[in-house]
Amino acid sequence: MADSTLTGIPVATGIAIGKAFFVNRNHMANLPRQIVAAEDMPAEIERLRAAFKSVETELAAIREQVPEELKSHGSLIDTHLMMLKDPKLAGASEKYIETLGLNAAWALEKAVSDQEATFEAIKDQYIRERMQDVRVVAEKVQTKLMGVKTDLSSISGRAIIMAHDLTPADTVELQVDKIMAFATVRGGKTSHTGIMARSLGIPALVGVGRLEEVHDGDLVIIDGLTGKIVINPTESELAEYNERAALFEDYTRKIRRHCHLPAETFDGSRVMVQANIELVEEVTAVLDNGGEGVGLYRTEYAYLNRTTLPTEEELAEKYIDLAAIMSPRKVVFRTLDLGSDKFIASYGELNETNPAMGLRAIRFCLKNPQLFKTQLRAILRASAYGNVSLMFPMISGVKEVRQAKAWLAQAKAELRREGVDYDPDMPIGTMIELPAAVMIAEFLAHEVDFFSIGTNDLIQYSIGVDRTNRHVSYLYQPLHPATLRAIKLVVDAAHQAGIEVSLCGEVASDPFCVPILLGMGIDSISMTPQAIPGIKRIIRQTNMHDCRLLLKDVLECRTVSRINNLVMDNIFKHFPEEVTFFSSLLENDELPS
Amino acid sequence: MTDENTMTDESPGYLSRKVVVSSDNGLHARPAGRLAQEAQTFDSEISLVVDDQTVDAKSILDILTLAAGPGNMVELRAKGADAKAALDRLEALFLNKFEGA
Repeated sequence: MADSTLTGIPVATGIAIGKAFFVNRNHMANLPRQIVAAEDMPAEIERLRAAFKSVETELAAIREQVPEELKSHGSLIDTHLMMLKDPKLAGASEKYIETLGLNAAWALEKAVSDQEATFEAIKDQYIRERMQDVRVVAEKVQTKLMGVKTDLSSISGRAIIMAHDLTPADTVELQVDKIMAFATVRGGKTSHTGIMARSLGIPALVGVGRLEEVHDGDLVIIDGLTGKIVINPTESELAEYNERAALFEDYTRKIRRHCHLPAETFDGSRVMVQANIELVEEVTAVLDNGGEGVGLYRTEYAYLNRTTLPTEEELAEKYIDLAAIMSPRKVVFRTLDLGSDKFIASYGELNETNPAMGLRAIRFCLKNPQLFKTQLRAILRASAYGNVSLMFPMISGVKEVRQAKAWLAQAKAELRREGVDYDPDMPIGTMIELPAAVMIAEFLAHEVDFFSIGTNDLIQYSIGVDRTNRHVSYLYQPLHPATLRAIKLVVDAAHQAGIEVSLCGEVASDPFCVPILLGMGIDSISMTPQAIPGIKRIIRQTNMHDCRLLLKDVLECRTVSRINNLVMDNIFKHFPEEVTFFSSLLENDELPS
Repeated sequence: MTDENTMTDESPGYLSRKVVVSSDNGLHARPAGRLAQEAQTFDSEISLVVDDQTVDAKSILDILTLAAGPGNMVELRAKGADAKAALDRLEALFLNKFEGA
């Protein structure tokens, strides 16, 4: 048996086998505590100063490399640099060496705990939390004093990076060519670690419990398909995973070879397969994986991690790039979908007790028309450079759509007056993610050019379940009879009105669910770029006729388990290979906590 | 924030000036860092006084512990050869909300 097996949430697929390397591990448990003889004190102080100096030099060098878009992290590094120079840390530590004869690392530890005592008394939570920065800085110095190397250049060969959390600031320090995989304790499906891993094409797990059980140098297997980490595997486990990795590589190569063919069923039905992205840089992944367009461009990234709002110029530049590179393929821009829970500091007054049902997405934009219009103008400007559509998130009623469209009309009028080009016929859509929108889909269909069903939210709101809440996450069932009926209702309403309907959300990239979606008559599905080849393969090997029959049976089922059984039987029968490599949402009766 | 608040050598041995925190978030990490950074360029001993709390202006940690919010009155005190220049500089920082040079 392996030493231990951990589980996490897979955010980038693949299998990696290699040596673990912990970044930012807390080494402080073994902090040396010794008394220094009087004659050795000056040398100990010198050692302390040298450690401070060397961390300062390193940070200053990193500061230089911080790219423009991560500027807010640059200011974090500035704060850390100032803390390094702070007499309350360096000066106080020296005093502890001189007066108490403590060794350097211990003296610094004492200086830090003095600060901790002071900070604990502060009411302002933000300031109290800056103590973490003091910790980070002090640990860097202590690590230097203890001679522990955290510098990634010190690893020989490639390694699997483990960390409590990886921030964009950390990743500036990483040498990407030495990284085989990531595993972190914190983070969710959309965390920076996942984006980074997917763009590097390496497996990654987040939300891993008990990760501290892994030690530097341990041999670990990261299974980005099932979300497992095997620590110090046995010979037979190694052999098993090596074989699995080879099979997966073969499979990936095989499906990638055909990923540029259209997603057409045996009996000639055509479905568009598009990608969900949030960074312009992900376009390569979209095109490489055979994405036929961008079905969902999440525009939030440009607003996060900063204290000022992006300007129209800043947004337009990115949007134009995206539209132009993808052209003539479609790019669907979703307008700002942020809730107060994750919005920037400037809107800190919006502290809501129930953000999922609060001032978010289109509601937030309609309350902040200036911010909304800036984004609408930027999207309109991009529409002159490619095949651009726009959609509004979290629509709950007809009036909301009309209000949003009124702002769009005003933005158009302004641009026209200013003589700026845009596509006057840019298609407008609404996201269908609230049960209310489902029920009035028939009315909404007359207001817009297309629908896009956001299943992640629709499922949560329909069943009333927060999928990150481990007590109730078992209720998060994509193929619940209620959500199936909801999707069917929306598709039918759209087609009745002669508009197209697409679906984005994890269901779209779940091979088990796709045949059902096809049976519904969905026009396009949108997913992470990496999932596209596998899903296209399933579509190309199926019959629309069979999908319709399956859907008919499924719609008659009264329980989730009955539906899931039917769907799984179908997949096992037709696509045994897919089942080997992909985990399905249907199997997650309990998501990892 | 003019010289009427500036004490002369007859007073307690330091120069003093009063300023108001006008940056939106108060003396948070960035402004505190900026302030300490500037203060460190002077030889004089410089301190900040809010209510009855006196802290070292050259220490970002000290400044943070003031938890001074927008609208708070801060007294700048400096003692040493370049005390006047130091106060001028730090006062300017407060007036510019810690933006720019």
